[in-house]
Amino acid sequence: MAGNYSNESMLDLYIFETSNLLEQLEHSILASEKSNHISKDDVNEIFRIMHTIKGSSAMMLFDNIASLAHSIEDLFYFIRENAPREVDCSALSDIVLEGVDFLKVELEKVKAKDPVDGDAQRLKETIADFLNQLKSQNPLAEKVPASRKETKAKSAEKPKDIPEKIEEIIEKIPEEKSKYYIAPNITKTPAEKSWYKAVIFYQDGCEMENIRAYTVIHNLKEIADKYIFTPEDIIENDLSAQVIKEQGFTVVLRTDKSYEEMHAFFMQTIFIRELKLEQIEDQEDEPVMNQHENNLTPQIPVLQTAEREEKAEKEGQLSSSSSAQQSIISVNVVKLDRLMDLVGEMVIAEAMVTQNPDLKGLQLDNFYKAARQLGKITGELQDMVMAIRMVPLSTTFHKMHRIVRDMSKKLNKEVRLEIIGEETEVDKNIIEHISDPLMHLIRNAIDHGIEAAAERVAAEKPKAGTITLEAKNAGSDVLIIVRDDGKGLNKEKILSKARQNGLLTKSEQEMSDREIFNLTFLPGFSTKENITEFSGRGVGMDVVSKNIQTVGGSVSVDSTEGAGTIITIKIPLTLAIIGGMNIKVGNSRYTIPTISIRESFRPKESDIIRDPDGNEMIMVRGECYPVIRLHTLYKVNTEVTEFSQGIFIMVEDEEKSCCLFADELLGEQQVVVKALPYYIQNFKKDNELGGCTLLGDGNISLILDIQSITRLVKK
Amino acid sequence: MIRALIVDDAAFMRLAIKNMLQNNGFEVIGEAANGLEGLEKYKQLQPDIVTMDITMPEMTGLEALPEIMKFDPKAKVVMVSAMGQESMVRQAVALGAKSFIIKPFKEDVVVRTLNQVNALK
Repeated sequence: MAGNYSNESMLDLYIFETSNLLEQLEHSILASEKSNHISKDDVNEIFRIMHTIKGSSAMMLFDNIASLAHSIEDLFYFIRENAPREVDCSALSDIVLEGVDFLKVELEKVKAKDPVDGDAQRLKETIADFLNQLKSQNPLAEKVPASRKETKAKSAEKPKDIPEKIEEIIEKIPEEKSKYYIAPNITKTPAEKSWYKAVIFYQDGCEMENIRAYTVIHNLKEIADKYIFTPEDIIENDLSAQVIKEQGFTVVLRTDKSYEEMHAFFMQTIFIRELKLEQIEDQEDEPVMNQHENNLTPQIPVLQTAEREEKAEKEGQLSSSSSAQQSIISVNVVKLDRLMDLVGEMVIAEAMVTQNPDLKGLQLDNFYKAARQLGKITGELQDMVMAIRMVPLSTTFHKMHRIVRDMSKKLNKEVRLEIIGEETEVDKNIIEHISDPLMHLIRNAIDHGIEAAAERVAAEKPKAGTITLEAKNAGSDVLIIVRDDGKGLNKEKILSKARQNGLLTKSEQEMSDREIFNLTFLPGFSTKENITEFSGRGVGMDVVSKNIQTVGGSVSVDSTEGAGTIITIKIPLTLAIIGGMNIKVGNSRYTIPTISIRESFRPKESDIIRDPDGNEMIMVRGECYPVIRLHTLYKVNTEVTEFSQGIFIMVEDEEKSCCLFADELLGEQQVVVKALPYYIQNFKKDNELGGCTLLGDGNISLILDIQSITRLVKK
Repeated sequence: MIRALIVDDAAFMRLAIKNMLQNNGFEVIGEAANGLEGLEKYKQLQPDIVTMDITMPEMTGLEALPEIMKFDPKAKVVMVSAMGQESMVRQAVALGAKSFIIKPFKEDVVVRTLNQVNALK
């Protein structure tokens, strides 16, 4: 089994890494757009990201992705090398973001295993135009060693165009030596030196032949005291690779090594296909190709100075950026899911051992001591697995910057996004389910909530609207709050719309504000007459609500007309394992999440009150709580029907409380939440059950959904 | 077995090279995500051969290469570059890189290059 997992697919990693990089890229470009200045670090980062995406995509043979990444890389290469003074940040962001969008779409195709066929030609042209414009606006830049394409183009025209510096250095070299390069570390004029001529042919497709040839020359310095080679422009002209491909690379050299030694030397050349090596008769002063004088030495110091500059530049950055290494590994979610399941099984297995019916009545001190230790470790293991699955909301939250930017640009509204509590963590599975709903809520807020600037000024509000995205922990739940300071919801409009669509289930006077606002979550509801491109056709809010419900969460709306709307999403921290109190009613077992229990007690008959409708209530410390008999609620036969025989469990949810009446408490335990089978879910949709679980003694227990139970009371 | 160290900031590239090497009798003894880490891993692991990406954060391949050569003048470093980075590859060769691989690369090219570089004296 381990073997299956270690061989993660390249494709998975490609998708994972590329989408991470794209997010990072989006983040940097949005940040620089906001400050209207693109910093050197950002340019470097974007360049690097595009370079990486280009490389990976080319490896995966996604040529369209690679070529678009290449054009953006070129653009940022220019900006990095020339630091043009005036860059239109807004236009640059538009281009890059458009590129990011294209790449994202293509990546989705990769994920769906669809053909990756997007055509980025138009976008590439836009980028090329922008680059040309930049170049023309910054003519100074041409003098600096320019972008790679330019160098290539230039050297193609006049291959001997060597930078001034080098020529100066060549002139400074003493006359006598200028003919041949004389290696500094080899003493001149030993007696038995001979001339060799070598022609090297490289294997097809090995690429950059000129640099491979340069490698040969570089190594040759140590053994030859004089040498010349052709083509001679391997350093300045990358087109010389073509010449080498066709005609081979020819070196004539003088050395004290034997023919065999030289043969061995050249045969070490990587990707050599053919070597023609011959010893030339002694012609001390008249080398064969003396017209091809060339000189390598000057090139080196120039390279090194350039490098030193670059280094000095980098050093500043190095010291400022933290060198703390991240010791983080990425793990396939499938493995985590599996681990989670295993821990769940283990929790059940542990309960099955320690609560085994066979143990009843036995005096087993050592066994229970060991069992307690097992229980402790199981608990820690479980906490750890949970912790591993927790992911901060920051990535999801920061995605919203992009939405706000795009929408405010298109709708011409000024909107600020404020993020609070992005470090709040939730289960990985949950994150995936809330991204879309959040996006929808933000879109709604900008489109329907925030007013146009003029309208805001008239209402004495700041010109720019603010949307606040906040996350915080609340017990075993996480609250995500989307707040806008827009015009708020209009109750009248909502009611009349609901009336039109026949969505009202009770009389309008009886409805609380909250109930009215919650109407917006019903399928087929929309108050906005003119539908825009962004917020859909009223299918939005009910989809939001449905999405949140699939992860066991809920959505509620609150609004003050004129002041704004607050939408609160409540989602459970985690789905799989909860602390539960097992109770018994007749022959059935139920589990109540421990977090919802306030207390349990045996009531006195005198505390029971009955209201005129016959509803039972109980008085506890001067407060009245409704009583729910679980045996009547679930129609279970039990002998315990007198309050004094059974037990009361006070549960609460969102400030609403009630008392459940059960036969007896069985004990507290970690339970693994399993979804109810489909046939039960379909059979009875509103069943006040949150799922089911397996108990240590092999019984199945139903988990009560306290939220819907407390709601029962209100009805 | 030839012991290799892979230095590349892209996890994808590291995996690609690693798979190719492991299929061909190399042992990948370490991976590093930037030049600085690569340098440290080199000192610690003393691999037979290193594949070194050029464009990386923190410390580029061109910055890490001379440091490695300073530590071990016999180090066998093979640069991993893209088309268009000719001048940087040339600098790398001048600084002591033994050879280079060009992205996108094929398995046999990578394996042959590394085998031949490893055979160098």
